[in-house]
Amino acid sequence: MTSKNSFLASSRENHKRRVWVWIVAVLSQLLLYGGMMTIYLSRIRGVYANGGFKTPEAFKEGMCRAARDAIGFSDNLYGVIFLLSAIIGMQGFSYLFDRRKVDMYHSVPESKNRRFAVVYINGIVIYLAANLSGMVLGTVIAASQGAVNMDVLANAGLAFVWNLFLFLAFYHMMVLAVMLTGNRFVTVCAFLTFVLYEYGLQTQISALKRLFFTTYSEYYMGAEPKLSVIYDCSLHIWNIKNAQNAAEAAAIAMPIVAKWILIGTVFFGLSYLAYKKRPSEAAGSAIAFPFLKPVVKVAVAIPVALMAGMVVYDTSYQNELLQIIGMLAGGVIFCAAAEVLFDFDIRSIFRHLFSSGVAIVSILAIFCVFKWDVFGYDNYIPAQNKVESIAISADGYYDSYWDENRQYFEKSDFEKENMFLTDVSPVLALVESARGADPEKMSDARSVQILYRLTSGRTVARSIWVDYDDPGTEELLNRIFRTDAFKEGVFQGITDDTSYANLVRITYTNGPARAVIPVEEAGRLREAWLKDMEQFDFTLVRHNRPCGILYFHYGDYNKRQWVVYDGFENTVSALKKLEAYYPMELDAADVESVTVTCYHNELAEQENPVDYGIEARAVAETEAWGDTDYTVSETFYEEEQIAKILPNIYSNWIDVPWGNYKEMDDNYSVEVMFKRDTAYPYERDSYYFTYSFYADRVPDFVAEATAYTGN
Amino acid sequence: MIEIHNLTKHFEKIRAVDEVSVEIREKTVFGLIGTNGAGKSTVLRMIAGVIKPDEGTVAVDNMPVYDNVEAKKRLFFIADEPYFFANSNARAMERYYSGVYGDFDREEFYRYLEKFNLDKNRKIGTFSKGMKKQLALLLGICAHTKYILCDETFDGLDPVMRQGIKSIFAKEMEERGLTPVIASHNLRELEDICDHVGLLHKGGVLLSKDLEDMKCNIQKVQCVFNSVEDERKALNGLEVLKKEQRGSLCTITVRSTREEVEARFATVDTVFYEVLPLSLEEIFISETEVVGYDIKKLILG
Repeated sequence: MTSKNSFLASSRENHKRRVWVWIVAVLSQLLLYGGMMTIYLSRIRGVYANGGFKTPEAFKEGMCRAARDAIGFSDNLYGVIFLLSAIIGMQGFSYLFDRRKVDMYHSVPESKNRRFAVVYINGIVIYLAANLSGMVLGTVIAASQGAVNMDVLANAGLAFVWNLFLFLAFYHMMVLAVMLTGNRFVTVCAFLTFVLYEYGLQTQISALKRLFFTTYSEYYMGAEPKLSVIYDCSLHIWNIKNAQNAAEAAAIAMPIVAKWILIGTVFFGLSYLAYKKRPSEAAGSAIAFPFLKPVVKVAVAIPVALMAGMVVYDTSYQNELLQIIGMLAGGVIFCAAAEVLFDFDIRSIFRHLFSSGVAIVSILAIFCVFKWDVFGYDNYIPAQNKVESIAISADGYYDSYWDENRQYFEKSDFEKENMFLTDVSPVLALVESARGADPEKMSDARSVQILYRLTSGRTVARSIWVDYDDPGTEELLNRIFRTDAFKEGVFQGITDDTSYANLVRITYTNGPARAVIPVEEAGRLREAWLKDMEQFDFTLVRHNRPCGILYFHYGDYNKRQWVVYDGFENTVSALKKLEAYYPMELDAADVESVTVTCYHNELAEQENPVDYGIEARAVAETEAWGDTDYTVSETFYEEEQIAKILPNIYSNWIDVPWGNYKEMDDNYSVEVMFKRDTAYPYERDSYYFTYSFYADRVPDFVAEATAYTGN
Repeated sequence: MIEIHNLTKHFEKIRAVDEVSVEIREKTVFGLIGTNGAGKSTVLRMIAGVIKPDEGTVAVDNMPVYDNVEAKKRLFFIADEPYFFANSNARAMERYYSGVYGDFDREEFYRYLEKFNLDKNRKIGTFSKGMKKQLALLLGICAHTKYILCDETFDGLDPVMRQGIKSIFAKEMEERGLTPVIASHNLRELEDICDHVGLLHKGGVLLSKDLEDMKCNIQKVQCVFNSVEDERKALNGLEVLKKEQRGSLCTITVRSTREEVEARFATVDTVFYEVLPLSLEEIFISETEVVGYDIKKLILG
């Protein structure tokens, strides 16, 4: 039994005023969970009916997986949670927007604390009840079809926690938005500002950095918002949904949930403070606290104006003057619109010119800081004694990286976690040599990404341009490439435990040659390869082309590739012992024909100049380009001719690590058709392989045979 | 007692209430008069604890009222446009108010509803403006608070209803010491109901007096003097607030008791004299003209 004025009585009374919110919340959750569960399970049943599952166990597993997707982590819920948090948060406290309601609620003998607590807690109760009823319905539907197991329930429990704190984060933002404003339209604007501000501002700042800083890099440190809830939930949901089990999902989700709790707590604290300080007379006004008006105006005008400038810049073929004009126009228009909104009066358009001026000056100042690199961003080179370690990524090598849980991850992440160059002097020397360098004037301009880990604990990322053809650069890169830290940070194979490999194979770059190696030999092969890797440096990879790629498979997806060069004597010797070695050179006797295609790029370029500059793009959009086909192909069957061609070609299916693209002639492609009775183990009856000529090594008779003579 | 001391409130740059100091004694009907924008509603809302004064204090029975539940238990505020829950009826409102006011008398409420012919089950949204005001008043009366604050609540009530409410007020004042505070822009609305009147103008208090005191201390005399000497003799020593002359007929408003005026005029030779009662309106005109205001413009339009 509760007294008349008990919290529960107040709560009950408040719920009566929120009936329609209850209906919307519960219905949305019931429809969503019930609908998703029904659709997902019926899909699996459909697949089963069409023979998609071989065994009843597989079918049950499929059903459970579908049930897990329906009541577990799902991005389908985000929109609904977002809307519910906004509706519940706004409806609960929106009485503050109506003077008549404020007069009533604030004159009755009920403390402001009590009222806040009642409305706030009831909002959460509405969501919880709605969400739980939806999940229960989904579970009942799943259970009735035998699609529930512990994993489904554990995942649903975790998803419940995830969704609850996602709701709370948005809910608190909306409550604060209500507290700071005085009508629904401005509240929605404030809510969206809280949700998107960091992301929006960071996007614009990153755009300016990309535009004006030549050393700006997002390779190691992407411009990820740190506090954006909406960004978090979209970024991580894929990994969470694909987690092996609930524990793994929890390991990914819980740190994010902890961050949301922190964000929600801050917004809650601010909401409560604003509620306590909010003047009742703010009902109906745009902003409840007048001192916030200039702050809001300036703070929002900056990203809006920067975005306007970037839009104009992109749509005006990168015209900087127009960008500035667009930026200023965006700032002025926003400031004027903000004043109109604050007063609900078009005549207020030129009010508070001082704060508008501050906004415009701030926008211009930010632009100038980037335009003229006021703080020396591009000249940044840390002192050697301030750098603890470095991770570096020199353009020219790519691999796919997988962790022990089959999760794919980026090369940059692998380098970040595994490359700790403590001999930083060659890197700093490389950066110093690249200072102010113009990539347009380089023979082979390549970008190098650098991550400085400073002794202060800070990390700084930069990008530089270096010339791979420059001997000085080659020497510095050699010093870097030779270190164990570099190799461990680039090649996953260096630290692999090959005893887990379930398949080892090699594919040779001569085209048809390939071999499968017994997995029990994986360890010996690894030892040989590691020994050969001691001679690994930039000069080796720059001036040699691999003879083969070793693949170590760990499970169905996880695959590591180890590059093998002819100079890797230990590896070659091991392969020979295993009778798994094929020389790079091809034998003309094995080849049936060679078809050479010449594209005559020089003629095509004359017709359509390859100029990707602004003017060319403008022309391209207004004028029709020529489409003459200059391609000429010729097939050679004579063994003598074929023998002259084969030493001059190299497979074009491989991305040669740090290779010199100028070594190959991109004007020709070569198709070699092998005879069927060679020693090569052809796969899937494929006898064709494609190659490119080395630069300046096209035999004269080939050039003559493929010359363009006109139509 | 409600004590208001140096109450000041700004709305952005507008000074809505300017150093208002008034005392509202218990068991009196206090009328707060002023034009639109004079600050009546703001003063009432500050008394009700809805808005917080920028400066000054409001004490209800020696308790500050803003965000003070104990003080608010003694107040019931009826705003100029009272709010009723959407789609609610009188029963729903009773349930709400009986939940927040511990002394709410439900039986009395339904008795009054019948007496005023208000259907407890009818949606309030279908009520006329006057009916809504009646309902708000009944809710306020039945909340059994010590003070009831009415903002323009009597405007628009028909004379029968006004009389009915007046009777209830009188009964409640008699039985439990109810103190109504009534704000209105129309002096005539308050004339027959208030004991004490405060006149607000431009956010400040122009005057605050008991109606009886005002009525007893201002007299209007119509007379025809035989000579100028008689006139001088009659008015000598009296505070003349206003004097009009049409032909030989003089209409004089003086600050004095009826007895004193009659005694003075009895000693001089007049053709005719008569001491007439003053309406509240006339009293206000006289009082405010003295301090340089044209009351007709202020509250009589």
